[in-house]
Amino acid sequence: MSDDKSTIGEGNSMSGEGTSMSDEDKGTVTPTEPEGAASPGRADKPADKAADKPLGVLAAAIAAAPPPWWHWRRLGRLARARWTPVVGAAVAGVLLGGAGVAWQAEAGPFHEERACWGALGEDDVADLFHGKRDIESSEVGVSRDSIASDGPSGLCELKSPRGMRVRAQLHRLDDRFGGDRDKWADEYLSARMVPLGGGLLGMVSDTRAWLAIPEGCVGRPGERDGPLVIDMDAGWTTYDDDVDTDERARLARTVVKLVNGYMADQGCDSPIGDPTDRLAEPARFIDEKRDAICGIKGLALPGKGVGGRYDRPLVTKNTKDTPVRTCDRDVLFGHPSLRLMTVEDPRLAVLYKGLSFDGGSEVTAVGDTKKESRGRGFLREDTGLYQASCQTGEVTFLIRADDDGHAAEIRRLLPRYVALEAERVGCGPLRLRMPS
Amino acid sequence: MTGDIPVDSRAQRLVRVRRFVRTRRGGVATGLVVALLAGGVGTWATDTWPFDGRDRYCWGAWQEDSGPGILGDEGFEGDDDRSRTSTGSAPTSREPRGQCRLSVSSSDTYQGDKDQQDTTVTVKYGPAPESAGRRVTWLGGYLGDRAMPLPDGLPGVADGNHGLLVLPERCDTRDGRPTAVTLDASEGAEADDVLPAVPMLGGSQDVARLLVAAANKGMEAAGCADGEPLRVSGPLPTLPEREESFPSGAICRIPGLDIESDLGKEMAMRLNYQVGAVNDDLQSCSARIGRSLRLGERADQPLFDAVMVREPRISALLDGATGTKAPGKGWRGTGTFASDYGIVRAGCAGRPTSFLLLGASTGTTSDYFATFTNAVARRLGCAPVAPAADAEGGRR
Repeated sequence: MSDDKSTIGEGNSMSGEGTSMSDEDKGTVTPTEPEGAASPGRADKPADKAADKPLGVLAAAIAAAPPPWWHWRRLGRLARARWTPVVGAAVAGVLLGGAGVAWQAEAGPFHEERACWGALGEDDVADLFHGKRDIESSEVGVSRDSIASDGPSGLCELKSPRGMRVRAQLHRLDDRFGGDRDKWADEYLSARMVPLGGGLLGMVSDTRAWLAIPEGCVGRPGERDGPLVIDMDAGWTTYDDDVDTDERARLARTVVKLVNGYMADQGCDSPIGDPTDRLAEPARFIDEKRDAICGIKGLALPGKGVGGRYDRPLVTKNTKDTPVRTCDRDVLFGHPSLRLMTVEDPRLAVLYKGLSFDGGSEVTAVGDTKKESRGRGFLREDTGLYQASCQTGEVTFLIRADDDGHAAEIRRLLPRYVALEAERVGCGPLRLRMPS
Repeated sequence: MTGDIPVDSRAQRLVRVRRFVRTRRGGVATGLVVALLAGGVGTWATDTWPFDGRDRYCWGAWQEDSGPGILGDEGFEGDDDRSRTSTGSAPTSREPRGQCRLSVSSSDTYQGDKDQQDTTVTVKYGPAPESAGRRVTWLGGYLGDRAMPLPDGLPGVADGNHGLLVLPERCDTRDGRPTAVTLDASEGAEADDVLPAVPMLGGSQDVARLLVAAANKGMEAAGCADGEPLRVSGPLPTLPEREESFPSGAICRIPGLDIESDLGKEMAMRLNYQVGAVNDDLQSCSARIGRSLRLGERADQPLFDAVMVREPRISALLDGATGTKAPGKGWRGTGTFASDYGIVRAGCAGRPTSFLLLGASTGTTSDYFATFTNAVARRLGCAPVAPAADAEGGRR
């Protein structure tokens, strides 16, 4: 042991000096050993302060004092002990193993905060919030109600301290009361939305996004069930035809990630690709001609036409695989005062199946026989609806007003609207017989 | 002082180890051990394994346990005598045709009864058959019945046990015919089967994946891959509806396609149909007389399969198969009606559109085909192709 001590003392006089500088200032260390012990080492340095006697004594004392346990000198000595390699190897092994386990389990330093049912990583959330990373998330996990058979559901909210809030929801669309209780259809099938394309059932705007979980993964919903969707609500915008396409792309990417996350949980390993490149240009207000209400050639009303001077209609952009074509006018807080809508996708038209059995004066089609009919429909003061069976499946034609003030217009518009739209979606000829 | 000796020898051993580590050879050896350890941790943590001993089949296109059911553990229906082998030759740049057969077999004994599984999956790479008739029945077989289009614009179709994928133009033959990859699965019949056995590959999604994997490997082998392999992006669409076994009135939602009234009462009861894809590129309607177990029938008796296809790449497979004349009096476009198939191709809303009929193209079936053709043409927004029965274009 004495051997070791001397080696340290000799070999390290140089650095001992370095530490002495700072210790001097404190002036707390008092010499406990004769100054001669360390002086030979210092004497041969010309620029040394060794000439200054008290300081020399101090430095010598420091060099000679037993270093504290954590000091590298002592640790260095430890490294020379016989058992050290074994302990060292064990410690290294434990560290490596622990790090490996932590990595694999994504715990500790490898843990990533994931939001919205584990579907969004930190980068994904930052992408949605313009690169900001101080987003709070809270959620109600995905669960299933085994009594009401409403299908799986879950909620998630992402909130920025600057006020922006995005809500995501997993739920089965309600087909019992028409358009998932109208509010969903008003907002999520609005003319501001464009389809996500690529055969997907989903749409997006700069404030709303929705995407059905592909049936190839979760199976087809029951005969009278709506599709299972994840939708996103990013708040409001002053309603006009101006859609922020960057914001829209962010929502589109995120809703696809949410659906991919849900599918991965269900054991489906074919994620959907990024849809943003194929999104269509947003719709703009159209200048309506007298004989082309909502831009539908041949749809006309005698007299002044529909609506006033200022409520130009917004019509869903005509793209290849849009599930709906909506014509909204006079929209207030996402609620149109008059809507003409054709739901072309049978998976979505099921939302109006329940309503089509609803009350009102019955609308039939020319050519209906007792055995076979083209579909079902009714007329009310505020609603005209016809659900037809087409080659592609069920198609819903709907005219809906927010009050009874449009009753005469609806009655006049419905047969003509259905005939023209049926022709467009490949379901013609379809002529309605209106109740008297 | 006997205890000192082992301590000393241990110390000596340590010294020897340290000395060894410090030599060059020792350094290399230590480095190797550390590298192996690190690599081991890495492969474990990332769940990859370079020497996993997994088998590869069919030109190396398919790997054991790579996802599709038939390549995994669930591919075996029984617990005993499991075997999975493949034979066949890959296409080459000189001979761009190839085929491969994957055989999966197993058996299970339950209460003395032995169940034998003999699943065969055949993959073919090459151009469509030469003769027009064989080409129509070949293609129609993949497009009809329960087939759905592959997702995200891949030109192909798949169902639970067969599929077809048309390769990009760079793989066309020298005379300009497209190359296709097809997959067909079958299950060996057993003497005591009540119904014909259905091969289980893991669903149409898995069929699509097998198809695309074989196509990528085939293109590589034939020298027409371009570095960007094809992939199945997103789940396959599902059929719009189930098989309808109690139809009333028009079948397949085609206005005027009323078969029931032409059949006897007994047959009408057994009529069923399947609507396949109905979109801008593909539409199919398959009508059958359901098997009667009472009469000992083991399979449905097909009435006809009517298919419309206008997906450009799939449609290109039919180039030259329609001849130059109209198939019959009053028909628009070119085509042929033969004893067991029919084909007509005409321009429709700006695109060449082909209508295929599998089944006898005579008598009532020919009328059904005309009704189907005109109804679909009308849906697509184009002039009637078949001689119309009335001004509306349909046969209502």
